Amino acid sequence: MNVRATALLVRRLVALTVLVGLWEVLARFGVINPFYVPPPSKVAATLFTLFADGEIWTHIEATFDAALLGLALGVIVGAVLGAAAALLPYVGEILDPVMTVLNAVPRIILAPLFVIWFGIGIASKVAVTFILIAVLFFFTVYSGIKEVDQRLVDRVRTLGGGRAILLREVYLPAVTAWALSQLKVAVGFAFTGAVVGEFVASSRGLGYLLSFAQSTFNASLTLALLVLIMVFVFLLFALAGRLEKRLLRWR
Amino acid sequence: MLDVSNLTLGYGGEPVLEGANLRVEAGQFVSLVGPSGSGKSSLLRAIMGLQQPTSGTVTNDLDHSSIGILFQDDALLPWRTAIDNVSLGLRIRGKPWPDYRDTAEAWLGKLGLAGLEQRFPRALSGGQRKRVALAQVLALQPRLLLMDEPFAALDAIVRHRVTQDLLDLVEGEKISVLLVTHDLEEALVLSDVVYLLGQGPRARIRERYSVPISRPRDIMKARTNPSFAPLLQRLWQDLSAEVDMMRRVA
Repeated sequence: MNVRATALLVRRLVALTVLVGLWEVLARFGVINPFYVPPPSKVAATLFTLFADGEIWTHIEATFDAALLGLALGVIVGAVLGAAAALLPYVGEILDPVMTVLNAVPRIILAPLFVIWFGIGIASKVAVTFILIAVLFFFTVYSGIKEVDQRLVDRVRTLGGGRAILLREVYLPAVTAWALSQLKVAVGFAFTGAVVGEFVASSRGLGYLLSFAQSTFNASLTLALLVLIMVFVFLLFALAGRLEKRLLRWR
Repeated sequence: MLDVSNLTLGYGGEPVLEGANLRVEAGQFVSLVGPSGSGKSSLLRAIMGLQQPTSGTVTNDLDHSSIGILFQDDALLPWRTAIDNVSLGLRIRGKPWPDYRDTAEAWLGKLGLAGLEQRFPRALSGGQRKRVALAQVLALQPRLLLMDEPFAALDAIVRHRVTQDLLDLVEGEKISVLLVTHDLEEALVLSDVVYLLGQGPRARIRERYSVPISRPRDIMKARTNPSFAPLLQRLWQDLSAEVDMMRRVA
């Protein structure tokens, strides 16, 4: 890390510390009502208790299972459908309008329906995550293939390349680049889907805990869970960013 | 080597180009000059088989794999290193490893790019990228090279140097060339024969000029050859007359 980057990091950490410190002081002295906005120390203590009990792990596991399973299925199915739509005109003319509508509506509204269809277990959460990501990846791959640089296609053709070569040398790398740049968005979507799915109806998971905290008016538990979810998404973001940087060295 | 006979080209309706006759002999450097819209590029596309002629024929005694093609807007694969871009054509033709790597490395060396093998195109200058594209085509050892203003996007100094290197290689390997350009000086400096295309639509080949400058050529010195200035003047007058005539008609 160079000096400028370090300096930037320091400035940001200072800003964060000042904000959290101010919050702590204001809540302690009753300037803001600690019932609604508990001080950071209380939120931290709640977080600590969650982990000390050990019970939080089953909830974390439930959310991660749903998020990652939905992410994997969504990426695979979305990519396959996107490729089919781009390469086979008959598939494209049917899927294009369907996906466009699904893309336009907030797909999260399907969550209650999925609970009715698939029950309050993991299946309904996977379904919500899946639908969020499958549509995203459909368009990633669909437009990725359609908007491939025609000059590259022509170049490979004039060098004697056929369909298989074009797919390997041009389409696959071009689409991979697009897909990797969407992976961060997809990670965010995966947690949105899983947590909201749990929020609607479930017996386990971080979304379930959130719903419980809300119904008991427990602001400090709510904040602790929000912090936890943000940390997880942030970590997966960093992981996706690493992967992107590594695989897209040529950029 | 290449024989274009009485070729007429159009996209339905009025032909762009009419009754074109043109020959490229083995080892000859031939240029095709003309105003914009004279159908220069269409003629090249027809020779490559990318466009079906309305009438007339294109014959050559080469199979498709010994024709190399270089355009202005040719792009390298951004996700492949310089050497992988150069070896692309060789790999497509089934040349095994490590042969294709060695051949590609040798061609990068010939074009002055030794040491840059592992660079991605993003990390190369415009001139270096053109050299990689050139190496990619020449590595396939074409007998005939078809080019459509390949260096138009380069700045003057880089363009001069890439052009000289191309000329040296083409003379050394005895490759026949058909170059489409609107730069009259470039055409004369490089070519053995220059064809002048008239203004389109219904453009015709107006004139054929032989350039009696000995080879190997230096593209700076070729300009000082006694036959250069008069030829350039003739070419310029003929082209101007052609453009003026069409203006009057319009």
